[in-house]
Amino acid sequence: MTTESIARTIRDASAARTPLRVCGRSTWLDAGRPVRAKQTLSLRGDNGVVSYVPGDLTLTVRAGTSLAEIERATAEHDQWLPLDPYGSSDGTIGATVSTASAGPLASGFGLPRDLVLGMEFVSGRGEVIRCGGKVVKNVAGFDLTRLLTGSWGTLGVITEVTLRLYARPKVDRTFVVKLSGNKSDAAFLGTFLAARLGPFAFEVLSATAVRLLGLGDRAICLIRFGGNEAGVAGQLAALTALATPEEVDANLWTRVRQLERDADCVIRISGPPSAFADGLDDILGDDIPSTMTWMSPVRGLVRLVVRKSSDPNTSSDIIIGNESGGDHSGHFICEKLPPEVWRQVPSAVSDPLSQRIKRVFDRDDLLNPGILG
Amino acid sequence: MQKPPVAERLADIVGEKHVLSRQSELLVYNSDGLPGYRRQPRLAVFPATREETIKVVRVLAADGLPFVPRGAGTGLSGGALADDVVLLGLHRLKQIISVDVDNMRATVEPGVVNLRLNRHVAPHGLLYAPDPSSEAACTIGGNVAENAGGPHCLKYGVTLNHVLAITALLPDGEVVELGSATGERDGYDLRGAFIGSEGCFGVALDVTVKLTPRPETVRTLLADFMSVDEAARVTSAVIASGIVPAALEFMDGPTIRVVEDSVYAAGYPRDAEAILLIELDGLRAGVDADLETVRAICLGGGARAVKVAKDDAERMKLWQGRKKAFGAMGRLAPHLIVQDAVIPRTQLPAILKRIHAISEKYGVLVCNVFHAGDGNLHPNIAYSADDPAESERVHKAMTEIMTACIEVGGSITGEHGVGLDKMGYMESIFTANSLNAMCELRGAFDPDRRSNPGKVVPIHSCREWHGVASARVPQPLSAEPSHPAVA
Repeated sequence: MTTESIARTIRDASAARTPLRVCGRSTWLDAGRPVRAKQTLSLRGDNGVVSYVPGDLTLTVRAGTSLAEIERATAEHDQWLPLDPYGSSDGTIGATVSTASAGPLASGFGLPRDLVLGMEFVSGRGEVIRCGGKVVKNVAGFDLTRLLTGSWGTLGVITEVTLRLYARPKVDRTFVVKLSGNKSDAAFLGTFLAARLGPFAFEVLSATAVRLLGLGDRAICLIRFGGNEAGVAGQLAALTALATPEEVDANLWTRVRQLERDADCVIRISGPPSAFADGLDDILGDDIPSTMTWMSPVRGLVRLVVRKSSDPNTSSDIIIGNESGGDHSGHFICEKLPPEVWRQVPSAVSDPLSQRIKRVFDRDDLLNPGILG
Repeated sequence: MQKPPVAERLADIVGEKHVLSRQSELLVYNSDGLPGYRRQPRLAVFPATREETIKVVRVLAADGLPFVPRGAGTGLSGGALADDVVLLGLHRLKQIISVDVDNMRATVEPGVVNLRLNRHVAPHGLLYAPDPSSEAACTIGGNVAENAGGPHCLKYGVTLNHVLAITALLPDGEVVELGSATGERDGYDLRGAFIGSEGCFGVALDVTVKLTPRPETVRTLLADFMSVDEAARVTSAVIASGIVPAALEFMDGPTIRVVEDSVYAAGYPRDAEAILLIELDGLRAGVDADLETVRAICLGGGARAVKVAKDDAERMKLWQGRKKAFGAMGRLAPHLIVQDAVIPRTQLPAILKRIHAISEKYGVLVCNVFHAGDGNLHPNIAYSADDPAESERVHKAMTEIMTACIEVGGSITGEHGVGLDKMGYMESIFTANSLNAMCELRGAFDPDRRSNPGKVVPIHSCREWHGVASARVPQPLSAEPSHPAVA
């Protein structure tokens, strides 16, 4: 599969007015709103490394390359792409960038928009467009790269991506701090954040999630430190002065990412980090067995995961309950919802400017129609 | 009834003394930080508040008049030059609206000077990371327009990575919120598209930026070399080691000597052929370990000596020489051409050799002072633009340097922007489809292409275009007005 064959598929679809469902390896088809398309354009077969110069710490891959393949290719040179979206590494880089998916490492390394240097995509008109570049700093031309990142395939089909890599740290250690379930938790969180130790990842997991991981039945903090030996020792010493950390295997992160695999409702709530520190008791205390909650305090993000077999009304209640009440300074970002609930969620791209941009790249609404509302 | 002239209507909004229309008054606005281009505005208007700015832009929209937004005019690509159209200066919008220490963010008006924001948040142990060398003068609005970088962007990222939200005034007078000041959001990354749009998508009315904690420890090393090639190889070796320095700056022999002859003398060894200024920051324990690794790489790679600044005063002095290097070039000749190419970092030794060969071929003195860690080169040549023969040699040399950078997979600008200066190179790195997509994206923000007309994307690259005309491929120092009359 080549860019040209993808472009031809899109041009043919355009001529026939056939909307396309754009997919990577189809590992996350239930994300986003229902797509109104019968034909599928899969990037699965278009994978592999295009160019990789380890000394430049940049990697160019075809969009169908899985995160696991990128992990393997870069590990040979002691490098990595610090991008670990929830779910697994089975998904493709094209889908990860298209959906701007990120995971715990985003606290330390930023979001996909911070890691993507350039790309090639095919617009809804079937035109091949290259933007950004292969160097780590670049302001040539308008930033189509950022625009396409997180556009869920509705502006163009990403066919190739150039990424910024990092060297693997010499030391990479993960620690658990068990929370007490009382006011001292918020105090610990506040002090830990104020210490600005720069963890690679820092997540707070509710008791339901902890039970599923087999780590007890109290909410925990998961903290990942990386760097040189002396640096991590320093970070650990600072943490030990505040709490009693226990070291765990780094594989735990893979299991954390997989926790929501069978979920039928996933919602992110984002807001100013301080708002979550204040509401920590409510966030972690309201422990419904069917619902997992975790927080990324550095990012100001709470993730709500309603697992299958739960009361079908729960997800709807969460959305409607939260939309109608409480603090409106934050945002609701829905990843997975039952179709009937999606209808109640306003579109994030209905503003006139977004609509004008959509018309520039996909005038006939050919690509993933409906996925963003 | 006929409308009064636009100058009068603008004066009604901002006050008479904040509208300039006499050619003599406008003279100071006919260039930016890159001498070599001159464009005379027809009119300049300087609103003081958000409300005034909105009114001004709406008056211009009603009359279909093109305009060029401008911050402090420190840009290095001719991007803020108004060619016989209205210049919209935003430097009077200089309020720091709010600082949220707990959440490490600040909201500022576009005219706030970069360094002023940094001084304002310093007592809270915070900083605003992007630090262009013009930080003492350049504005946050200008930084957003150019997606400005700076030495410390190696570790911390450029403007794009530090802006959370922008309230933007589109050229038709509509006010839109891009991004979110309160958290991550979904939808298209319109803030990302706006950053680096060089004033072509409208004007920022306020900008919410992320603040960064001041590192516990900062250590600055000066490594000096008797060969440019060794310094280049050491740069590549430091990057390949996986250590991410806060900054990794390169200055070659000619630059060192110019700086040392100037008031910005920093105590660099005058006989060295190259120096690297390397800064490491973070938690003390980790930084000290990295410092030893970097010192070993430098010494192993041929450094004659590695000196570590012993206190803040010494650090500041080392940085002063670097940050004022372009200013010091003024000692050499009246004009300076500064290039801003980016190359893959492993290509550094090879490209510096090419640049040296090109400088010999054309008999010009190229000074190299640049962000080596990012592969962001700034070869610059001091010359006299009044000498046509010398100018021609300088421009030929620069074009050849740029071509060499493009050939190794580089980019034509890392942080200065395309503006007028780099437009001629756009077609050498982007296809017709890509350029057309950029034109059309601009059209989504500014259907009439009235905001900063004739910049960034060459007009002939736009397939469907029917707005006002103000586009020619620019020639340095040609100043004849070309735009339809401003009422």
